[in-house]
Amino acid sequence: MPNPSSATASPRSLGGVSGQRVQPWRDPSAKPMIQIQEVRKTFGDFVAVDGVSVDIFPGELFALLGGSGCGKTTLLRMLAGFETPTEGRILIDGQDMATVPPYARPVNMMFQSYALFPHMSVEQNVGFGLRMDGVSKAEIATRVAEQLDLVQMGSFAKRRPHQLSGGQRQRVALARSLIKRPKVLLLDEPLGALDKKLREQTQLELLNIQSKVGITFVIVTHDQEEAMTLADRISVMDRGRIQQLGTPAEIYEFPQNRFVANFIGSVNLFEATLAVDEPDRAELDCPDFGGRIHVGHGVTGTVGMVFSVAVRPEKIRMSRKPLADLPNQMQGIIKQIVYLGDISIYFIAVGGGKQVRVTQPNLDRWAEGEFTWEDRVHIGWAADGGVVLAQ
Amino acid sequence: MHTVKLWASTTALCLGLVGAAFAPAALAQKKVVNVYNWSDYIDPKVLEAFTKETGVKVNYDVYDSQEVLEAKLTAGKSGYDVVGPTAQPFLARQVAAGLYQPLDKSKLKNLGNLDPEILKAMEKADPNNAHAIPWMWGTNGIGYNVGKVKTIAADAPVYSMKMILDPDTVAKFKACGVMVLDAPTDVFPTVLQYLGLPPDSKSLADLDKATDALLKVRPFIRKFHSSEYINGLANGDICVAFGYSGDIIQASTRAAESKRGVTVNYSIPSEGAQLWVDTLAIPKSAPNPDLAHAILDHLMKPSVVAASSDLTGYANGNKASTTLVSDAVRTNPGIYPPAEVRARLFTITPADKEFERARTRAWTRVKTGR
Amino acid sequence: MTPPGFLRRFMGRPTVIAIPYGWLGLFFLVPFLIVLTISLSTADTSLTPPFTPLIDWVDHKALQVVLNLGNYMFLFSDDLYVVAYLNSLKTAAISTFFCLLIGYPMAYAMARADKGIRPILLMMVILPFWTSFLIRIYAWMGILNNNGLLNNLLLWLGVISEPLPLMNTPTAVYIGIVYTYLPFMILPLYSTLEKMDLSLLEAAADLGCRPLRAFWLITLPLSLPGMIAGSMLVFIPVVGEFVVPELLGGPETLMIGNVLWAEFFSNRDWPLASAVAVAMLLLLVAPIMLLQRSQGGSPHARGGH
Repeated sequence: MPNPSSATASPRSLGGVSGQRVQPWRDPSAKPMIQIQEVRKTFGDFVAVDGVSVDIFPGELFALLGGSGCGKTTLLRMLAGFETPTEGRILIDGQDMATVPPYARPVNMMFQSYALFPHMSVEQNVGFGLRMDGVSKAEIATRVAEQLDLVQMGSFAKRRPHQLSGGQRQRVALARSLIKRPKVLLLDEPLGALDKKLREQTQLELLNIQSKVGITFVIVTHDQEEAMTLADRISVMDRGRIQQLGTPAEIYEFPQNRFVANFIGSVNLFEATLAVDEPDRAELDCPDFGGRIHVGHGVTGTVGMVFSVAVRPEKIRMSRKPLADLPNQMQGIIKQIVYLGDISIYFIAVGGGKQVRVTQPNLDRWAEGEFTWEDRVHIGWAADGGVVLAQ
Repeated sequence: MHTVKLWASTTALCLGLVGAAFAPAALAQKKVVNVYNWSDYIDPKVLEAFTKETGVKVNYDVYDSQEVLEAKLTAGKSGYDVVGPTAQPFLARQVAAGLYQPLDKSKLKNLGNLDPEILKAMEKADPNNAHAIPWMWGTNGIGYNVGKVKTIAADAPVYSMKMILDPDTVAKFKACGVMVLDAPTDVFPTVLQYLGLPPDSKSLADLDKATDALLKVRPFIRKFHSSEYINGLANGDICVAFGYSGDIIQASTRAAESKRGVTVNYSIPSEGAQLWVDTLAIPKSAPNPDLAHAILDHLMKPSVVAASSDLTGYANGNKASTTLVSDAVRTNPGIYPPAEVRARLFTITPADKEFERARTRAWTRVKTGR
Repeated sequence: MTPPGFLRRFMGRPTVIAIPYGWLGLFFLVPFLIVLTISLSTADTSLTPPFTPLIDWVDHKALQVVLNLGNYMFLFSDDLYVVAYLNSLKTAAISTFFCLLIGYPMAYAMARADKGIRPILLMMVILPFWTSFLIRIYAWMGILNNNGLLNNLLLWLGVISEPLPLMNTPTAVYIGIVYTYLPFMILPLYSTLEKMDLSLLEAAADLGCRPLRAFWLITLPLSLPGMIAGSMLVFIPVVGEFVVPELLGGPETLMIGNVLWAEFFSNRDWPLASAVAVAMLLLLVAPIMLLQRSQGGSPHARGGH
């Protein structure tokens, strides 16, 4: 296990693309917007959410990340009020939501399918929430127009949902869920239905809108890239539990277990036995590696215990010559090359039959000749390049 | 016995119009004679005996109304060898339309068994009895629930058409339920007779008078239907019905069998009642006329007819069989009326197209009240 | 191009299209044309079949076509037919209304029931079809009679002291028709309600809409195609309904189907009966067109999602 203190002390605490943001979760006096306390939800024998506790703060952009069936959507639906927790409490803005029906909650949701009313025009859809609140027609018209302008859909007000493209529907759904200025906006796979280019563009727009309206966003997604781009904090979920909670950088650089390491990005895992354990460094014997792996942090465990050492492919350097300056190095043969344009991925067979994944930026325009199949190369990484994970 | 196998056979008629063209050729090969008649009208044992005797299989098909039979005959080749039209008005107009072949009397050695009185009544429909032989006969009269009628009006004139046609009388039975046959040719003559007019009148003025008489009592009549009163009387759902003698006697038998304390009686109206005769005839298009004659001859054997009378509870047109009919049927005055009642029975003759249309229209007026 | 490919290309599509059209032509258009022809001829009971042929050879030389529009004129000369038509329309409209009123909650409950029991509920709606329609109507006679189940039950409970006259009344006809045609209303309604995206209701609730209001604003408008389809499936056949009024109705129940029967069987006037039938068909063309529009014009049909 990585030492928690080293994780919190990490200097590379980046909050997505929006750069430096406030970090209310580090402020003990900050008042959370959403408090999820020991929430459990079962459907028959199936445990969907298994004792989740988390505080989400005003203005935060919080992502629930996980594969299908991990419980993230159930958790979101409990926030919206469509499901009732079997155990535990949910508080929004300090108020217990146990007896509050969906239509009375200060949250709005953007559905995965968008759930636009097919028999209503775009403006009727967007104005629906205000109509329910008994807002005057004139005011509805003004606010709908404003809202549609915010999502750049002003000229589509009279259209029906089936006359819109996927991206346009997504904007309408967003406008509809924002118009009541909820305390919390829930987004269920908001960009899932869009193609890659549109998705990237929309992610940025979503961030812009969030910073303009200042509402707390809770996003459910299975797409780690989306979570990394958008979220201030990510909670990685698996089998109903939170596996790790942290900023995108924390999650990426300091995964707390094999699940998180594997789920976020790609990773090389080496099984190794703890040989030397000191407060600021450790050494582990690794037969696959053919020697000792040096790690730049202490390990909570006893000598002789088996751990996994996780090393991100981009942390590994590759050269024809020995990499004398790196504490961890080995030799191997290039078995496979995948050219991706900006980077290339090399699969290198090392002693013991293990294949190590290494990515190299393609710095030169025509770098193809540099390494090729069956080349014998040296690979290696720095002491702080790897993380020790519990088995 | 005019039991209803209702609209199933209306559909069968439609299919029949299509299928009839194919049927006869296929059937002729296997020596089958096709009989089309009311259901339960010929004792099945009698037909089995015929098959045993001759090796000819009898295909007994049933209709629910004379109209359906007529529609099949008029549509063209029906595929039937023997059919059972009622003498008036059906046999009469069908003979006139040339739908039947003359009987080859040399092939019918049992003709002498028939009742001359009934044959005479049939002559109005079938001159010289050239096309048909009588089967069962009966009257149109009053069926009533003895117990309920007595409770409602102890002095009810159960032997008179007043039970139906006198507004003051029939009004008393409205709540209990009154039903009348849905057949203009079976109702108007009795009404005319009741009014003292000639029952066979073809005058439109007389028809109007009869219509008015019926319109006066219409509000008290629950339904015009040609078979529902059987169950209605038997179950005690209605009190009074104007219907066919055999049907009402059947209701009476059923009521007795069910032991629910319902007693149904049949009375022949003292004003005089219409006599009807169901006949057997051979359509012109019959595929097997020889077999048809053979089965007709079989159906004139006294024992055979008596068995069917016992089954149906109708009097038959075969004088030689009378002594063989069971006592219960033979001594029932509603079935075999005494001579003085028989003297007051009447029959009618066919009407022309104009009068027929007027009569049907008048009947619709009676039923719908407009 | 190889022969099979050639055949596929030039025969395949037209053949596939021709089958349903051929079917319709053979079993709908041809019978209709026969009926139309008969309606234009003159009744003559001395003929077999009992009407004059439309086309005749005069002196074996000239082809003569005699069209008799008199049957259609006659329909208007006697108010019986108009009244019967109007009565049929009224009966159909009232029956459709009650089918909708009863069928909608049933279809709704079925569509929102647990997925596991939905096939069972569906089966229960279809199950009565396994018994003859006629037997089911006779069963109703047993229930509605003066001495029937319902009256006996009410008498036994002491609710009434004398049997209610239910049988042979318009009420009995409506009960019979609504009972008979209810499945035709429920099935299309069920299929639209079942297909409905339930997240729309969640979205409505999420935006502050209470359940009852969500039903009016979302569920009801979205089930409109099913309501129209069901209503047409009930309305159209009920206009021509014959058996139920014949068995459960009283003397004042006058529907066009019964008039048609009387013209055909009692009067043996095939041409007039055919004219009644053709007029009835024309009367029903309007609602059928409406049905087609509702099915072709819904946003779902054009691929809403």
